[in-house]
Amino acid sequence: MNREATADAVGLHERASATPERTELGRKIAPLGGPRGVSLGNAPAWTEGELGLRAQQEWFAAIISTPEDHPAPIDERSASRLIAPSATLSSLERIDIYRGGYHARLIECLADDYPVLQHALGEDEFEALCRRYIAEHPSRAPSLNYFGQFMADFCRSQPHSQSGFLADLAKLEWAIVLSIHAPTAVTIGFEDLNQVPNERWPGARFQVNPSLKILHLAYPVNAYLQAFRQGSPGVVPAARHASVAVYRTGRSVWRLELEPAMVTLVESLASGATLEEGLAQVQAALSGETEQEMAKKISHCFQHSVSSGLFSAISL
Amino acid sequence: MANKFGLPNLGVGLGLRTKHYSTILEQKPAVDWFEILSENYLRTQGRPLDFLEQIADGYPVVMHGVSLSIGSTDPLDRQYLSELRSLRDRVNARWVSDHLCWTGVAGKNTHDLLPMPYTEEALAHVVDRVRAVQDLLGAPLALENPSSYAQFANDSMPEWEFLARLAEHADCALLLDVNNVFVSSRNHGFDPLTYLSALPFERVVQCHVAGHTDHGTHIIDSHIGPVVDSVWQLLAVAHQRCQGVPVLLEWDAEIPSFEETHAEALRAREFIGAAA
Repeated sequence: MNREATADAVGLHERASATPERTELGRKIAPLGGPRGVSLGNAPAWTEGELGLRAQQEWFAAIISTPEDHPAPIDERSASRLIAPSATLSSLERIDIYRGGYHARLIECLADDYPVLQHALGEDEFEALCRRYIAEHPSRAPSLNYFGQFMADFCRSQPHSQSGFLADLAKLEWAIVLSIHAPTAVTIGFEDLNQVPNERWPGARFQVNPSLKILHLAYPVNAYLQAFRQGSPGVVPAARHASVAVYRTGRSVWRLELEPAMVTLVESLASGATLEEGLAQVQAALSGETEQEMAKKISHCFQHSVSSGLFSAISL
Repeated sequence: MANKFGLPNLGVGLGLRTKHYSTILEQKPAVDWFEILSENYLRTQGRPLDFLEQIADGYPVVMHGVSLSIGSTDPLDRQYLSELRSLRDRVNARWVSDHLCWTGVAGKNTHDLLPMPYTEEALAHVVDRVRAVQDLLGAPLALENPSSYAQFANDSMPEWEFLARLAEHADCALLLDVNNVFVSSRNHGFDPLTYLSALPFERVVQCHVAGHTDHGTHIIDSHIGPVVDSVWQLLAVAHQRCQGVPVLLEWDAEIPSFEETHAEALRAREFIGAAA
């Protein structure tokens, strides 16, 4: 049960007012013969009359959020009624700077959240995935902190031969992001346990670290992620069930692979069970083992859970 | 205090970036102040706030946002404004700024600073919203002139006139980004000095400088690399007119070490004399 720290900067986004660089201006514009009947969400019907502020914004937003591998939804003549050309750029080229910036910024955000998924897919395929994600899950929040929240389910929905592995990897990376944004808590240690009178132990309840997420994964993606961080990324592993705790103590994010008995204990205590009830559940799960082995495992589970920082308080 | 809002001259500051957190916390370098990107610390209860609170304990901070969307025709996001206000109070931010732009419509956020049409309709719309925001914040809002790459075909006034009239009618503060003036002047073909000469400098409470990327046909406000000389010269002109205004460097791509970034920021002192 190795406990591994993630790189320190993971999940800390930089959302500046700068415009992301995109050098191949105009490369994906394919103007058609007039405003098209494509579905643009909120774009209003094109009119030859004066566009009011609302219509201007709806049209501008519709154009820049059109996927870059699609033709621009209006042609140059129509675009020039919205945006004036400059001495050096056409109206569509000027709008396309924003179109490129919109997609580049959001792709950059997803790459911040999912560096290992990006590695697993390769840059081009990851970018294509992001573009589909952006089209399906446009941001609706002022902050980008949770923009990537749907990635695991999105990966699972993709017609990719490794979609299960990719979804689990995304699930793990998203848990790391969530742990960064979860409240910081002081965790308890053995010195706190020593304060508990013997007779109060059975009824003791444990509050889990508020950043804790226990993931049940079909693929050993934690090992894959760790190999990536250590610079020796492996091949896509075969399916093998694994439970991984992701949580934070202070500034460090931890990933801890859990044995089944520890999963039972921590999930039981997290659901509000007393220590006595939690240990009984572990005991039931270990029923095939000798009493001596069982006692050793239970003791190890409990001590390891505490020393790893999975609990933040005891109530008696 | 030269500005009409009585906001302090904090000196020469630096945009706070995660890459520099550890240097700042471990070495506690002498920096006049930091500007934070507001949205990085919203909707989080964890590590970003831990870092920020420690930094705000040792340095003055100012909040700079990118999602106010003051020009949008969507309703103002009151939840967001409430969060901004809470964050400001939590870290004792000296003031709150954002951009003259819109970032989305119909409930979607592009997270980009999209250009405003400079029309009477848009001006009246933004004036009303700035007033509402200032009421909700209980303090003046500083609006920054954005870099832009497009101008609406039905613009009826130049950006500087729109900004000046907006500031006057809404009684708001201005954050003058001289790099943005330079970038837009090249992209739209106007004289940056004409822009500067039209501004109500008594409302300018802060200046920004930054690097940019010149593509020949247009300039991108990439916040990369050192500040070019033309932008420093614009700062010198602007600062003569609004003495005692703090200056801040934004560096957001290929960010160098803290020492190098701060050294670039401090170059501002060569162009603003002893005023800051």
